[in-house]
Amino acid sequence: MNSRRPLLGWLLIAPSLIGVTAFLILPVILAFVVSLFRWDLLGTRDFIGLDNYASLLSSGALVNSLVVTALFTLISVPVSLALGLVLATRLVQALPGSAVVRVIVVIPWVCAPLALGVVWKWILQPSVGALNQILGVRIEWLTDPSLALPAVAFVAIWQNVGYISLFFQAGLSKIPTSIYEAARLDGAGPWQSMRHMTIPLLRPTTFFLAVTQVVASFQVFDMVFALTGGGPQHRTEVIASLVYHEAFTTSNLGRASAVAVILFVLLVVITLIQQRYFARRITYDMS
Amino acid sequence: MPTTPDTAMPPSQGGPESTGVPRSARRGSSAGRSSGSRARRSGPASMQARALAGYAGTYLVLALAAVLTLGPFLFSVMTAFTSSQQFAQQGPLAIPAPPVLESFAALFAPSAGPDGFLTPVVVTVQMVAVILVGQMVFSVLAAYAFAQLRFPGRDLLFWVYIATLMVPQVVVVVPLYLMMSEVGLRNTFWALVLPFVLGSPYAIFLLRENFRGIPTELMDAMRIDGAGTLRLLWHLVVPLNRPIIVTLVLITVVTHWNNFMWPMVITSGPEWRTITVATSALQSQYNNNWTLVMAGTTLAMLPLVILMIAFQKQITRSVGNTTLR
Repeated sequence: MNSRRPLLGWLLIAPSLIGVTAFLILPVILAFVVSLFRWDLLGTRDFIGLDNYASLLSSGALVNSLVVTALFTLISVPVSLALGLVLATRLVQALPGSAVVRVIVVIPWVCAPLALGVVWKWILQPSVGALNQILGVRIEWLTDPSLALPAVAFVAIWQNVGYISLFFQAGLSKIPTSIYEAARLDGAGPWQSMRHMTIPLLRPTTFFLAVTQVVASFQVFDMVFALTGGGPQHRTEVIASLVYHEAFTTSNLGRASAVAVILFVLLVVITLIQQRYFARRITYDMS
Repeated sequence: MPTTPDTAMPPSQGGPESTGVPRSARRGSSAGRSSGSRARRSGPASMQARALAGYAGTYLVLALAAVLTLGPFLFSVMTAFTSSQQFAQQGPLAIPAPPVLESFAALFAPSAGPDGFLTPVVVTVQMVAVILVGQMVFSVLAAYAFAQLRFPGRDLLFWVYIATLMVPQVVVVVPLYLMMSEVGLRNTFWALVLPFVLGSPYAIFLLRENFRGIPTELMDAMRIDGAGTLRLLWHLVVPLNRPIIVTLVLITVVTHWNNFMWPMVITSGPEWRTITVATSALQSQYNNNWTLVMAGTTLAMLPLVILMIAFQKQITRSVGNTTLR
């Protein structure tokens, strides 16, 4: 079936192979190497072994950013999945007008997180912000240390719910309506069918979304940069913000690379766990 | 039973008149749902009432979703068209009276200097175009080789490509910055496009899945007619896979139009700023000039919102195509 043409094969993949090697594989190796050096933008390049990792751990910056990222993930992923599911169950009813809403709710997803962050920073401004003006209050949404992270998570949820609902809509449309009729004749209410049929049958979709959203929220940067820049008091300093600040604010590229390496290892572990779990769960798939 | 569908239903969505069934009968039916015989007797009326209540609930959710989604966009676009004088007097909720182009004009006026948006718009369009063409051409070539040709090392290489899907941008941004600085490409157009232009493992992966389904007879027939590989790709493989290619084009445009971290890190100064970097710079520089900043965010978002509405079917379909196989 396949034609055997070694030279042509290598010729066709050559450009992408150069790209993958030079701009993905080499940088990852380089990140490991640089993380072992005291390396700044002025030319210092001293080998210091694992000192960067040690100083990150002892300064508390790394632990803080891991905790912040984990909290951000724990707030934003479950809430956006739950809201996305609710929205999807309403959208698949295909009532007149829902086609328009289906398009509207995906709009935030195509917009730059950076631009959305700037818009929301303005909406959440204490004095001239639209939200406080509507509510008639003066709340420091983004500068109060206890409110900043929930506020950032809220904006991330706001951006993703519509996109997530697309996947649930696709999953829901594969469930045959006949089983709902059968359940209704057996006396099951809407909540019971949701709890005992819809949610279990959507498990592959939910699982896929949970994994991709967790991986994405471990990398969040643009939105945090625009909304808070990592503050107040590092309360929103996610892992990617820490990488950026170490590298380009304090000019400590070695420490920044050490944080990047830790993030990379974390993401590989998450992905591997997910794949083992997926392999076991795949039997639930309806298709 | 305060949560029966009857009581949850607002009167505007159809009272007893619209169903033609007395309220008492419907209440009885929902109360008697547990007892089989009664539920069956008043079944149709109960179902109708429940359906109506369901519609009301659905429309409530949909309206809420639409308002909450569009609200922030409405505020920002309104402010972008408000004169700075009116904004200073009336705040963010003012309806622009009259709508003015003052902020947009300021962003494109020659006097805007390094903070203007003309250069960022041009740079972004060029960057997205170059990355798009490069990624599509090189990804199609590689995907065809992986799907239809046999050569030593193919499967191992494909596995390596898949593995690189796990590499996030934030991990490679510092080493890439060092590499670009080393070869003197920092703050150049090349630095913006080079890491992405040679193809994307994600696109190659998706295209390969689709290219494997092309019937061999069709390709053999074209080869016997003397067609070379490039003709085969352009006249058979690409047209047969138009849907996935359109999807990938959309994903690529959205990703690179919106990309921020790499362009911000690798450019310095206004020369090669993209729109996202310019928006960020505008915001930090004119912290309280919100009419100007909102004009900037509007410019950053509007092209993609239009693109998304124009290609809504492809985007919705892409969800089924690209991820849940």
